[in-house]
Amino acid sequence: MIFLKRQLPLAITFVMGVAFALQYYIPHPVSEEAITKVSDWMKIISGFALVLGIASVFHVHAVKIRRQAPGWGYSGVLFAAIVVTMVVGFWSGGESKVDGGQTSFGWLYDYTMVPLQGTMFSILAFFIASAAYRAFRARSREASVLLAAAVVVMMGRVPLGQFLLPWTWDITQWLMNVLNSAVRRAILIGVSMGSVALSLKIILGKERSYLGGGKDQ
Amino acid sequence: MKDFARRMVAIDRRLIFLLIAGATLLPLLNPFGLPIKVSPEVQAVYEYIEDLPEGSVFLLSFDFDPSSKPELEPQAVALLRHAFRKNLRVIGMTHWITGTSLADGVVATVAAEMGKERGKDYVFLGWAPGGYALIISMGQDLYKAFPSDYSKTPTRGMPVLEGVRTLRDVNYMISLAAGGAGIEMWYVFGKDKYRFEMGGGSTGVIAPGLYPFLRSGQINGLIGGLQGAAEYETLIGRKGMAVAGMDAQSATHFVIIILVVLCNVFYFALRGDKGRPR
Amino acid sequence: MSEAMLPTEVVLGAWVATGLTLFIYSFLYKDNPLFKLGEHLYVGVSIGYSVVLVWYTVFKRLVWEELNRGNYEPLVGVVIGVLILTQFFPKVSWLSRIAFAFIVGFGSGVSIPRAVSSYILKQIEDTVNPLLTMGADGLSLGLDLASPQSGVNTIILLVGVVSVLFYFFFSVEHTGPGMVTARTGIYFLMIAFGAAFGYTVMSRMSLLIGRFRDLITFSGAAYGYATLVLLLITVLSLAGWELAVRRKGGEE
Repeated sequence: MIFLKRQLPLAITFVMGVAFALQYYIPHPVSEEAITKVSDWMKIISGFALVLGIASVFHVHAVKIRRQAPGWGYSGVLFAAIVVTMVVGFWSGGESKVDGGQTSFGWLYDYTMVPLQGTMFSILAFFIASAAYRAFRARSREASVLLAAAVVVMMGRVPLGQFLLPWTWDITQWLMNVLNSAVRRAILIGVSMGSVALSLKIILGKERSYLGGGKDQ
Repeated sequence: MKDFARRMVAIDRRLIFLLIAGATLLPLLNPFGLPIKVSPEVQAVYEYIEDLPEGSVFLLSFDFDPSSKPELEPQAVALLRHAFRKNLRVIGMTHWITGTSLADGVVATVAAEMGKERGKDYVFLGWAPGGYALIISMGQDLYKAFPSDYSKTPTRGMPVLEGVRTLRDVNYMISLAAGGAGIEMWYVFGKDKYRFEMGGGSTGVIAPGLYPFLRSGQINGLIGGLQGAAEYETLIGRKGMAVAGMDAQSATHFVIIILVVLCNVFYFALRGDKGRPR
Repeated sequence: MSEAMLPTEVVLGAWVATGLTLFIYSFLYKDNPLFKLGEHLYVGVSIGYSVVLVWYTVFKRLVWEELNRGNYEPLVGVVIGVLILTQFFPKVSWLSRIAFAFIVGFGSGVSIPRAVSSYILKQIEDTVNPLLTMGADGLSLGLDLASPQSGVNTIILLVGVVSVLFYFFFSVEHTGPGMVTARTGIYFLMIAFGAAFGYTVMSRMSLLIGRFRDLITFSGAAYGYATLVLLLITVLSLAGWELAVRRKGGEE
């Protein structure tokens, strides 16, 4: 049983990892066929993984309703929204438009999901302004440099700034293409080396947290 | 002065919210219309599409959802108008499940405006799961990745996909990205192996992180945020939502700059204060 | 949008969209029942939409239709997918490890050579560009700051990449020349973070502009002045709620 619970998953990880790392360098038709098939399977598996995520949200709110925890009424609203959207969606055959005309599913998407999702993220604009006013202070030399760069970029990336102070455009272009690129490149190289190292550790069985924990890991 | 500074530092943040709301609303109601300067990275995308011969295959991946609609929809509209004007064969798709209907709506609306026919001039493949696995799947066999398009029409035999079997047959590809599942993923799992040319459109948040790819030529151009969309609209000679929003963008930026300057003025005014927890 | 009569579903949709937008914006006053309602509706509708799309795309298009065509290969994906779902049943949840091993093994394997090629080699290649160019007058060092590929910018880029990489290398103490390199890296980082802040402000403001544009459109006569009416209702509702909360607080 230990073999099935521990050795088998680690063996699968090793075989899959090595095989598909080497596949990149082998342009043989068999190798290409293998990656084609497995990536098709991965698409289906990703669908099941989405189901897992959705089921987790269901579970959290179901527990809240069962225990009548504070705010359980809103969990009821959430469930109602899920059910109504699913019913409307299946009734419309999963289509937003049929013969150029909008379905109920499309209506629900355009007039509930789009404004809700758009507004949720747009609200951050207010908080970024408030945070900038309260916290963006030149406490040190480094903070002053950060502040100066932020102000120049904010000026240089809008028509009014370009109109009033044309040099902010040129400085912004140079900042982004040279200084910013240098930093982002260094971070990218560093992070990528770390992720390659992590992938190797996973393949070699040194990193096992993806197996979900437990004594027999 | 110190009392005033103290009061101003402790001001109710809802007043700042009202200030931002006003700075956004007023220019939208009364635009002042300033010229838009075009950056080399946006020009590069425009010139590449402009140089594509008629009938070339252009893949546009709508890798965003409604939360990034104000920035990326104008980019999508401008790119589609340009592509349809050049009579390119347009393939649309998305990696973001909650952006599917939005993407379909944009493609259908612009295509109708430009007199293009679904299946013949363009196709919207829709969403499929898998992320990087989907890109690999498309790189190996497009028809296995998408057996049918978003409106459930079989993709095999579609006139617009004639001669297109894998991503190697795509002439130019742009990913309009709002996050990780976008430009970088398309490059790493797509262009790196299947060797199509690609550009990028992105939200302002992730744009700075894409400049290393632009510099190294991994993407040939980058349209960053609403400003990038406004630049592209200027290049195609058709002003739209992006140009219309730039005045409000200017006003809000200036409000933020003034707030930051004031914050520091008050900070320095109070810095000498003993016992102030600043 | 023209002032001609709009279809009922469009006007109704505008009222619903405006109402929901204002519910979410009511959070700017303070956390309140209207915001909570909008927040939970958002999660619910997103999940419902995702379920429908997953059903039609994955189960119907990628599995069922393929099986009907006589292609049984998708069943391998289905079996592995079902193994993931065993997580919900404690007695057999260990089976999900096989599925995760498959997924994680494949993901790790495909990403190694691609990450090395795209993120490391290609980036290093562009960092070590030639400093001198051969022109009609012989070798020259490009001093044009406006050209990203010029010699002087290549030097600055190289200094930036090395100093930032060194700053994050904590296995060596940052003393002496190391300290100068690390501090150079810090200044480069500050500039990049400042630029990132500027772009983030640009991005967030753009989102706000987009929503306000819709609210302005829906304030027109064709939409029954939805924005203005609903704004008044929202403000009055918030005022009523605030009074009720204060009264309840006073009684307690």
